[in-house]
Order: sequence, then structure tokens, then C-alpha cells
Amino acid sequence: MPPMLRNSRESWGSLARFFHWAVAALVLVQVALGLAASAWRLSPMKLDLFVWHKSLGFVILLLVLLRLIWRMVNPTPALSAGMSGIERLGARASHGLFYVLLILLPVNGWVINSAANVPFSIFWLLPLPAIVAPSPALAGTAENAHFVLFSLLSLLVVVHAGAALRHHFVKRDEVLSRMLFGPPRT
Amino acid sequence: MIRRALTAVHCLALLLAAAAAPARAADWRMEAAGSRLEFTALFEKTSAPGVFREFDTRLRFDPDKPADSRLEVNIKISSADMNSTDINNAIRGAEWFDFGRFPQAEFRATDIRRIEANRYVARGALTLKGVQQAVEVPFTWSAVPAPAGARGTFAGMEGEFALRRSAFGIGSGEWAATNVIGAEVRVKFRVRLRSDG
Ligand code: HEM
Ligand code: HEM
Repeated sequence: MPPMLRNSRESWGSLARFFHWAVAALVLVQVALGLAASAWRLSPMKLDLFVWHKSLGFVILLLVLLRLIWRMVNPTPALSAGMSGIERLGARASHGLFYVLLILLPVNGWVINSAANVPFSIFWLLPLPAIVAPSPALAGTAENAHFVLFSLLSLLVVVHAGAALRHHFVKRDEVLSRMLFGPPRT
Repeated sequence: MIRRALTAVHCLALLLAAAAAPARAADWRMEAAGSRLEFTALFEKTSAPGVFREFDTRLRFDPDKPADSRLEVNIKISSADMNSTDINNAIRGAEWFDFGRFPQAEFRATDIRRIEANRYVARGALTLKGVQQAVEVPFTWSAVPAPAGARGTFAGMEGEFALRRSAFGIGSGEWAATNVIGAEVRVKFRVRLRSDG
């Protein structure tokens, strides 16, 4: 049976799964764009890469906010019964940290953009207002913070994907299958 | 006898005209405080404003008789400021303004005409990045009350026009493409002038 739109206490609904995998895929693209844009030599291509990177950052922010709202108006599937106290704590903390990082990264990117005072319109259409006054010093600090947040996010993705695979192949529980496009393993 | 008298009258008239003329086509000097020269480029479809912090204007101009005018504007190109470290570093380079080779630009016009009421147009030559091009600069002229305690006559000159950056080789090589940095740059000025004549 395909999953319902809404979550149940046992499994993720189709909208929650869509949010999870859409954000996961876009974050990978976003990281590739960020690294490429930073490394590119100054050229029209570099400026275009940055417009894509910054625009996609706002798409991710929007998806994450919608996802959190959806999470609040839905039951959250209970953590797998076979998880120990420390595993439960790890799962809750890392999932919470994902949401924090996925909001902080775009907001911090917005600070870089405002402090560096680079003109930018989301997808070349919507001019982004400044949230801080131009300041080269602040731009530098915010760039460092962006890199630290990105490093934390990368670390978390590795741990998180590792944990998901461990659930599936070692613990052989329902955790990964109830997030993938299929019925939960019972 | 009659001829003599006529010649005398003629001479007198010339003298009077000569005495009156300098008072009418006054010499104006720019007051740097209260004057501003702005430009706005299009960066990834987003307006990117900047200013030339240093420039100077000299003008001989009679608003009622603009035919005998002379306008000279000198712009210190290397005083360009787009309020962004990254962009300021980029525009000084050879592909953009090339501060090193062309630190200065100038506009010279002797042809100023009235369009209507207080609106005029100055047709002249702009020399920028080593390229000279004919440019028409429209402006409005208005008398400005003298600040308290100041001597002389004050006036304001304001206007706006567009330039194509390619005409001056600003943004060369791969930057000549206009989808990332737009083809047109809008120039806007507000000049405050003072005359002691
Ligand atoms: C989920 C959202 C985002 C992720 C995962 C992300 C990731 C990255 C990564 C991996 C880099 C290259 C490494 C680095 O230089 O730090 C980077 C650079 C950058 N990002 Fe983001 N970013 C996000 C959102 C944004 C947003 C919304 C903006 C601007 C509005 C932005 C602006 C920048 C800038 C300006 C740089 C270059 C920083 C520098 O020159 O050091 N980012 N980003
Ligand atoms: C950038 C990539 C990723 C991000 C940002 C991310 C984020 C998240 C978040 C925030 C949750 C918690 C959902 C909630 O409680 O609301 C979650 C759950 C989950 N993620 Fe990811 N994830 C990513 C990649 C992956 C990958 C690659 C896998 C699999 C290999 C995966 C498997 C799972 C699974 C199975 C769950 C469900 C946990 C449960 O049912 O308790 N995720 N993910």
C-alpha cells in the first residue's frame, strides 16, 4: 500500500518523505554549488554560480520551514522500539541539529550577502533586502561561520546516513524503509 | 557729422554690452558639499549603485542665454565606490575602469541649449578610459537660496542619462556579455554651483 499523505505513529506519510528526500537532494546540490562558486576564478560564470547557490539556499530554507510546520500538525512516528536510551538521544539530537543548521546556514548566508553588499535577486527576480549594514569585517566573520556550519552539516550527514544504513542492514528494523518510497518493513 | 554721432552711439552701445555680458554669463564653481555624481549598473539583474567621490565642475552659463556656455567636468575615476570591498576590488582592474592607466575622465561641452523652461541639454565629448564619445547630458537648472552668511549666487544643476559601457571598453573580454553585467549604466548628478560674478 502506498503511504498516506499524513504521518501515522508507525510511519512517515508521503509528504514528509517528499520533504526529507527533496531537502536531502537539494542540500547536496547546494554544497556542490557553494564549493564550485567559491573556487571558481572571478568571471561571469562565478557570479552565476553564486546566484544559483544563494537562490537555492532560499528554496531550502522555505522547504525546511514548510517541513517543520507539517511536522507540527502531524503525528511523529515513534522511534524504533529496539533503540536504546543513548540511540534515542542521538537520533533526537541529530535530527534537531539538522533543522537548526538548515535554518542557520541560509540566514547566515543572507548575512554574508548583506555585509559584503553584493547585489542579489533570488533567481534574478526578487531583490533580496539587506538584513545587516555593509561591513567587510562582519562579512569575513560570517563567511567563517558559513564554513563551520557547512562542516557540521557534512559531519552530521555522514553520521546520519551511517545510522540509517546501520538500522537497515545491521539492526534490520523498519527505520529506513519507512522513510523510503515503500511500505514500512514489519 | 551724423556718421560720427552714430559711431559714438555705436561704441557706447558696445561698451554697455561688454559691461553687461560678464554679469550675465556668469562663471560658476562647484561646491563639493552638496554635489553628488552617482552611477548605477545592473549586476545579475539587480541594481548596483555607486558614486564617484571626487569630481569637479566648472561652468560658464547664463540660463537665459545658454549659447555662450562652457561646461567642464573632471571626474576622478579612481574615486569610484560601490560600497562593497569585492566589487571595488574588481572595478579597479584593467577589464573595468583600469584605475592605473585611466584614473581621470572628463566631459567638455560648449553647446548648451534650452529645451524648455528650466530644462537644458549639453552636447559634448566624454573622455573615459581613453575613449572619446559624443554624449548628450540633459539637466535642469534652478536658483538655490544662498546659505546664511554666504556671499554670491547659488544654483543647482541636476540630471540623469544612460551610457553603454561597451562604447568605452568598460567590462572587456568575457565581461562584454551583458546578461551578467548589464549593457547600460545610468549616470545621475546633482551639482551645487556658486558664482561670485
Ligand atoms: C542550506 C543552505 C546552504 C548551504 C548548505 C551552503 C553551503 C555552502 C558551501 C558548502 C559553501 C562553500 C564553502 C564555503 O566557502 O563556506 C558556501 C559558500 C557560500 N555561500 Fe552558502 N550555503 C547555503 C546557503 C547560502 C545562502 C542562502 C547564501 C546567500 C544568500 C549563501 C552564500 C554563500 C556565500 C557568499 C559563500 C561564499 C563564502 C566565501 O566566499 O567564503 N549560502 N555555502
Ligand atoms: C542532507 C541530507 C539529509 C538531511 C538534511 C536529512 C535530514 C533528516 C531529518 C531532519 C530527519 C528527522 C525527521 C524528523 O524527525 O522530522 C531525518 C530522518 C531520516 N533520515 Fe535523513 N537526512 C538526510 C539524508 C539522509 C540519507 C542519505 C538517509 C539514508 C541513507 C537518510 C535517512 C533518514 C531516515 C531513515 C530517517 C527517519 C528516521 C526515523 O524514522 O526515525 N537521511 N533526516
